Amino acid sequence: MVTFDVDYFRDLETPRLARLAPNLVAAAFPLMKLMPARFILDRAAANGELKAGSHIVETTSGTFGMAVALLAAARGYRLTLVTASTLIDARYKARLERIGATVIALDDPRGDGNQPGRLERLQEILVKEPDGFWTRQYDSPGNWLAYARLAELFIRALGKVDCLVGCVGTGGSLCGTASFLRSVFPHLTVFAVDTHRSILFGQPVGKRMLRGLGNSVLPKNVRHQLVDEIHWVGAYPAYRTAHRLLREHGLFMGPTSGAAALVARWVATTLPDAQVAVIMPDEGHRHVETVYNNEWLGGLPGWPCKEISEPRTLTTIAPAAETQWTRFLWLRRSLDDVLKAQAAGEVPSAVGAAENL
Amino acid sequence: MAEAGNLMSRAALRSSVGTAMAIAHHGELIQGVFKDNDGRLHRGLVTLPITGLRSEASFARSDGDAVVVHPDHKAKASAAARLTLDFLNVAGGGELTLESAIPVGHGYGSSTADVVASIRAVAAAVDIPLRPSSIARLAVAAERASDAIAFDEHAVLFAQREGTVIENFGGSLPPLLLIGCKANGGIPVDTLQLPPARYDSAEIQEFGVLRAMVARAVRLQDPYLLGRAASASAVISQRHLPKHGFEEVAEIARRAGACGVQVAHSGSLLGLIFDLFASNLKRRAALVAQQIRRAGFKDVEVHLVNAEGWTW
Repeated sequence: MVTFDVDYFRDLETPRLARLAPNLVAAAFPLMKLMPARFILDRAAANGELKAGSHIVETTSGTFGMAVALLAAARGYRLTLVTASTLIDARYKARLERIGATVIALDDPRGDGNQPGRLERLQEILVKEPDGFWTRQYDSPGNWLAYARLAELFIRALGKVDCLVGCVGTGGSLCGTASFLRSVFPHLTVFAVDTHRSILFGQPVGKRMLRGLGNSVLPKNVRHQLVDEIHWVGAYPAYRTAHRLLREHGLFMGPTSGAAALVARWVATTLPDAQVAVIMPDEGHRHVETVYNNEWLGGLPGWPCKEISEPRTLTTIAPAAETQWTRFLWLRRSLDDVLKAQAAGEVPSAVGAAENL
Repeated sequence: MAEAGNLMSRAALRSSVGTAMAIAHHGELIQGVFKDNDGRLHRGLVTLPITGLRSEASFARSDGDAVVVHPDHKAKASAAARLTLDFLNVAGGGELTLESAIPVGHGYGSSTADVVASIRAVAAAVDIPLRPSSIARLAVAAERASDAIAFDEHAVLFAQREGTVIENFGGSLPPLLLIGCKANGGIPVDTLQLPPARYDSAEIQEFGVLRAMVARAVRLQDPYLLGRAASASAVISQRHLPKHGFEEVAEIARRAGACGVQVAHSGSLLGLIFDLFASNLKRRAALVAQQIRRAGFKDVEVHLVNAEGWTW
């Protein structure tokens, strides 16, 4: 039966489900952030925070900005995105502007993304605009609540889900999907995928090569106590897995999806009796000049690196090279608890879900 | 000739009597708030039917306008008969007689069973078959809120205050064994006095997940997924209409390897759901029944759902 949704954005946000192995299903999203963006705007419109013609603001230069830009265009809202000059390329800025967004790229003398400056500018806009609305993807509960739909899609397609693998940036997709799946499958094992030198799971901040994964600030939507294992994937193995997704499965995905797929494949192989679901957040189009360009890849020091089939298990949280893939048993603890245990020199047992199941 | 013909058909009509029945239920598998295709929210539920208890109605048409009901306190059944006559554009009234074995006030749906049996009896008396969706709509019109028993064992997500189907799951529930009991000392609940539950955003989002579980469970006839959905809905219900001893029953269910626990979301019923084809079921069921009785629950009963003559 073909029906038209009143809101076609629900179709646009819906991932394609791809079986990558007998016990592994991927949700391959064209643009995952449409899911939380639509949910946050719908909720704000329903409770009166967002009025016809309101001015939406957000501090992003990533795919959430793209998602809000598309929704704002279709629904007649004004949109201003505040980013840093170091975080956005001219081409992406032009794409956002063509959709109708105003993009403010602040100077970034320290090269850390200038988040305080961005927040300051955002507040200036909100003060001036009584009809201003800040989507707050880092802290809004709407971000994680939206992913009940993804849990539904996984359940309708898979039934019982034993393991969930997904990237963490704001925490919305992984923590949202995990908490809804766990409400019906309490045994669910959650594998979070981050990258070296992201601070989300206790690493010291530093320059990250893999864009769109990890964070240098800690959003409220990251709920550490949902996570069983944390995996830090470097840029090189992420790129290689993205290439494999294209060559072996015909899926043209971005490198963060590659990172998630790398961990998911390992989980599915290690736990052959478990049903594994993995979230792949975006497509490869934004990366044709880089990750999918041999010339660019050839300029990377040490490329091509050799393929890694399993992670190195850490007992002490520490950054590693971009060619590396590491893993740490988080065991559903809070960030504080893990950091205290690390400071006290406690060495956790190296036995996790993968060793137990 | 023509006159005689008319007289004859009128005489035939006057003497026509319709009989029909409707089954009871054991509360709901899930109940909450659900989004329709346009994203609007509706209160909805999935009923857990039990065929062992039923209400039977007979309707004898008469020329007078009045609908007379026995026993005379069954006003909603009487209203349902009236609405059905009007819906079918049939003049006159009739005498409606109800006989029901369904206990009142525990969440067995005694009222809806009376109403649905009455609507069906009127339809039978005038010999016009009604679709389940029309019966359900008439039932809601007669009693304001109604369960999905007009659909019998066919699984639907039913908007109980609007009389519409939010999602048709396209099949029957899988065969189940249900061990039911009554919480709160078996004291009846007056459902119309209950304010509708106010669910928060996280609960409303979770209901979508539970609905997906039921859809999958019906499609693949999976009692375990169904049981997990029911348990999660029961846990949410505990925040709104708590049942004493729910945790104890949930623990008994867990130890016995049950698929899950369901509740009457506006009643006192609790049920442990088992796969009808599970091994050693008779022995396990007897043990569980004993444990529930010892824990102080009233009226422990065994019900079969979609058993199709299975002798377990």
